Amino acid sequence: MLKVLTGVCSKVGATLSKRSVQTCSVLQHDNLFVHRDTPEDNPGINFEFSSENQKRVEAILAIYPEGHKRAAMIPLLDLAQRQHGWLPISAMHKVAEILNLPNMRVYEVATFYTMFMRKPTGKYHVQVCTTTPCMLRGSDKILDTIKKELCIGVGETSEDKQWTLSEVECLGACVNAPMVQINDDYYEDLTEKTTKEILDEIKAGKKPAPGPKNGRFAAEPIGEPTSLKEPPPGPGFGVRKDL
Amino acid sequence: MLRLTVSRALNGAKSSPTCLSVASRYQSDQKKPDKIEVFIDDKPVLVEPGTTVLQAAAMVGVEIPRFCYHERLAVAGNCRMCLVEVEKSPKPVAACAMPVMKGWRVKTDSEMTRKAREGIMEFLLVNHPLDCPICDQGGECDLQDQSMAFGSDRSRFTDIDFSGKRAVEDKDIGPLVKTIMTRCIHCTRCIRFASEVAGINDLGTTGRGNDMQVGTYIEKLFMSELSGNIIDLCPVGALTSKPYSFTARPWEIRKVDSIDVLDAVGSNIIVSTRTGEVMRIVPRVNEEINEEWLADKSRFAYDGLKRQRLVTPMLRDNNGDLNPVDWEAALITVAKVVKHAGNSIGAIAGGFADAEALIALKDLLNRLGSEHLCTERTFPLDGSGTDLRSSYLLNNKIAAVEEADLVLLVGTNPRFEAPLLNARLRKAWVHNETDVALIGPQVDLTYHYEHLGDDPNVLRKINEGDHEFADKLKRAKKPLIIIGAELLERKDGGALLSTVQNLSTKLNSNEDWKVLNVLHKVASQVAALDIGYNPGIDKIKSADLKVLYLLGADGDHINKEDLPKDCFVIYQGHHGDRGAAIADAVLPGAAYTEKQATYVNTEGRAQQTLVAVSPPGRAREDWKIIRALSEIVGAKLPYDNLNQIRDRLDEIAPHLTRYGNAESANYFKQAAELSKKTESAIDCKPIDVKIKELQDYYMTDSISRASPTMAKCVQAVLKQKQSACN
Amino acid sequence: MTSQAVRKTLKEVKPILSLNRDEARRRVLNLYKTWYRQLPYIVQTYDIPVSVDKCKKKLREEFTKYSESNDIRLVDMLVIKGQMELKEVVNVWKQKGHIMAYFKDTVEPKPKDFLSKFLNGKD
Repeated sequence: MLKVLTGVCSKVGATLSKRSVQTCSVLQHDNLFVHRDTPEDNPGINFEFSSENQKRVEAILAIYPEGHKRAAMIPLLDLAQRQHGWLPISAMHKVAEILNLPNMRVYEVATFYTMFMRKPTGKYHVQVCTTTPCMLRGSDKILDTIKKELCIGVGETSEDKQWTLSEVECLGACVNAPMVQINDDYYEDLTEKTTKEILDEIKAGKKPAPGPKNGRFAAEPIGEPTSLKEPPPGPGFGVRKDL
Repeated sequence: MLRLTVSRALNGAKSSPTCLSVASRYQSDQKKPDKIEVFIDDKPVLVEPGTTVLQAAAMVGVEIPRFCYHERLAVAGNCRMCLVEVEKSPKPVAACAMPVMKGWRVKTDSEMTRKAREGIMEFLLVNHPLDCPICDQGGECDLQDQSMAFGSDRSRFTDIDFSGKRAVEDKDIGPLVKTIMTRCIHCTRCIRFASEVAGINDLGTTGRGNDMQVGTYIEKLFMSELSGNIIDLCPVGALTSKPYSFTARPWEIRKVDSIDVLDAVGSNIIVSTRTGEVMRIVPRVNEEINEEWLADKSRFAYDGLKRQRLVTPMLRDNNGDLNPVDWEAALITVAKVVKHAGNSIGAIAGGFADAEALIALKDLLNRLGSEHLCTERTFPLDGSGTDLRSSYLLNNKIAAVEEADLVLLVGTNPRFEAPLLNARLRKAWVHNETDVALIGPQVDLTYHYEHLGDDPNVLRKINEGDHEFADKLKRAKKPLIIIGAELLERKDGGALLSTVQNLSTKLNSNEDWKVLNVLHKVASQVAALDIGYNPGIDKIKSADLKVLYLLGADGDHINKEDLPKDCFVIYQGHHGDRGAAIADAVLPGAAYTEKQATYVNTEGRAQQTLVAVSPPGRAREDWKIIRALSEIVGAKLPYDNLNQIRDRLDEIAPHLTRYGNAESANYFKQAAELSKKTESAIDCKPIDVKIKELQDYYMTDSISRASPTMAKCVQAVLKQKQSACN
Repeated sequence: MTSQAVRKTLKEVKPILSLNRDEARRRVLNLYKTWYRQLPYIVQTYDIPVSVDKCKKKLREEFTKYSESNDIRLVDMLVIKGQMELKEVVNVWKQKGHIMAYFKDTVEPKPKDFLSKFLNGKD
């Protein structure tokens, strides 16, 4: 949606003379930093931690010393997000209530971190890394495959609320580029084929094994090592003779 | 918020040894370390350790530019405008946050400093719209001024691909503060003010980086009685006054120093006028009273001065309608009635009466042989009554509230009766570890307090040492009892006051520290009692009066039914409110912005308002109306101008003309001794206060009742209270 | 020393027109006569509702207003102003109202006591 808008703008800018008055501004982020009441997300909806999460809440709170309980905010928000799939405003209110903090202090944290999803998100959140190393290794194709496979664009959620696709910056798995993160699992060394397989498997209700998909165990070289093959040299290697 | 962590650390760890360590460290800090020497632009200056570079520079008169730094708020250090070079430091340092070290040489005008400032200014301006011509802050904008003084003389900003500058959605935070968030430079002063001073944690930053916004996240009213101050704090035009928007420019308005009279605090204000109209009211710094804050009612109720005004004398005809007449006819009619009445004439002074009008009216009635002079608000007369000033003043002064270590509030809601006193209390609570307790209905004071219930007998128990709070009071080094004047209006007010007086004398160990404090609700009360008015209108109701003179009495305390049928009611005042509705003759007076008049605030400090605009229509200054009437009645008062009437004030109570000084009261012991004669006992009726919540605060007197802005505030608060987000 | 300086400055004052009192007096009388002779024509031209006699009285009044003036320079200056005034009147650069302004019969006296000041709304 955003990209379309900016695209239109740039086209208009190109056709009109350079001096024409600019009427629309660029939206810089696809997340809103203000809250809008929606049927799915409004303060009227009640949010409660489930009984087992309630125990977790207590455990988390116990970690932090008296007087510094507000440090438990991020773990609690994460817990709420895991329980609900995303972070509705009533969950933020709940966390504020638990920590005895003003709501605003929780909003500040929840909007600061991009991993807190403040709008309805599908059961599987597919995050495709498109930063330079992954891009060089073909992440664009991976992204296209996923788009085609799930029939959704970037930033969108599928109608059955199963899938959400986002484009993200480096997730720190450059040695295994290209990669995607689906919920908490990394799927690395992808090709169009393996990507499709992973998605199909998840659709079938199975959980594909996370990790590299080209047979590697971790970040070791594919096949034979190409360097450092000989045994390591002993002490005195490369030292001047006269010393 | 700030205090929360500390207090919870202390309360939560009562049994643990950390509590002790905190306490002991606090005490060991008492020893003062030696001063250290630093050099600002090669000028040596001796400062306390812990002084910031910016403060040290201010001591030698070097002002370092700043946006986020504010003396009365916590240091944030996020605008970076105050960067200065320190010798031997590789990077410039933020002067507002960096404490000086021994022997530092700070260069506030070096090449590096200038370049740093230019760079910061450039960054700020890249994300700031150039809409100064349509911005209300234009002309008094820190960003404008500082970009002229410290910014670069040219811009590198070109909107290459016509993508536009950063734009941020405006927030709706109520009918008082207008937000244009695109102009925001993220100094976070408003956020810090809201959480530190106002105690309302509704403002914050959302998002991050270039997308950071200052706002409330959810659509929400900024529900504070001090919200207007964020307009003054905002260094740019992001937060401006909604009622003032697009009405005047700072260079075309005339500024007059004055005093606020909408509560009994007597905040210092500047009235800005243009073309004979009050355009806005802003606070004036007075460290002893309002620091630099101002309550919303005082700041925004000025549009009430233009509505519902009495602009011409009026007389009631046989049909019961008030008809406009000229002054001569009005005065002659009134004088005839007054002359006919002889000494059965009474007067009630309302909340906005100034000392000059009060003295003139008293002199006139005394000359006519009447002593029926009352104030609208009552005060117990048992014991010493109002003879000793100590029993009706906020004796310990507003500023000294900060030093108290234990404050007991009785029957008052300072948040809405005196918002600036409450801001002081909150300041003390946050920074000085002051504890607060309250006897009265449970209200939100923006800080935590110990609620001792609303039973007045708790007070008696504390006095007798029969309550656990009594020990606490005894242990406190600087205890303070603030009793609301409204509580003393009760039938058993005398007994309550006597209890508090006794308790205070027991607690008073230090001569300079006064435990007993009375908080009044209206601006005229202290002056009226000083001059010798009787508190309360019971006397008026019982006396068989032929003429009743209402001097701005709009408080709904007296009705036609309370008076004899043939009683002729004269109303003198500036608003057509409750008083004018029951009057047979209406004499239009001047409001506080239209006269040079003396007001005495609740701590006994005499201050004067100055003429900012002329009274509308045929309205006249109040004391002059009474003086003119006196001549026609035939009891001519011996003063013709302001100096002469001030001489008369000086004759009665010299402190009334010592402007700016708060005359301390004494004879506490004697007052307490006399109060023991009080025969009435405290009854069991629970203590109540009239103004409990924000919506009750805005419209309390004839000016604020006439103000559309205040009406909008009430609506907005009621709407907010209904919504799910609170 | 100072008195000398004062005398010196006094001495050095330049005369405006007249060198001595007699000359100044002559000029005043001249002006008075010219005005006096002009009065009937003024009444006629301007068609003012005042008799010539009354005008003569007014003329005398206007001149005697400054009878205390002894300074030659001041007298000269007043004469010059009088001549200018006369010129304006004779050339009909003035209007009826300006002439009638000498008689000031529409001007109300300023209120002096408190009550009348109050009723007039003037301080």
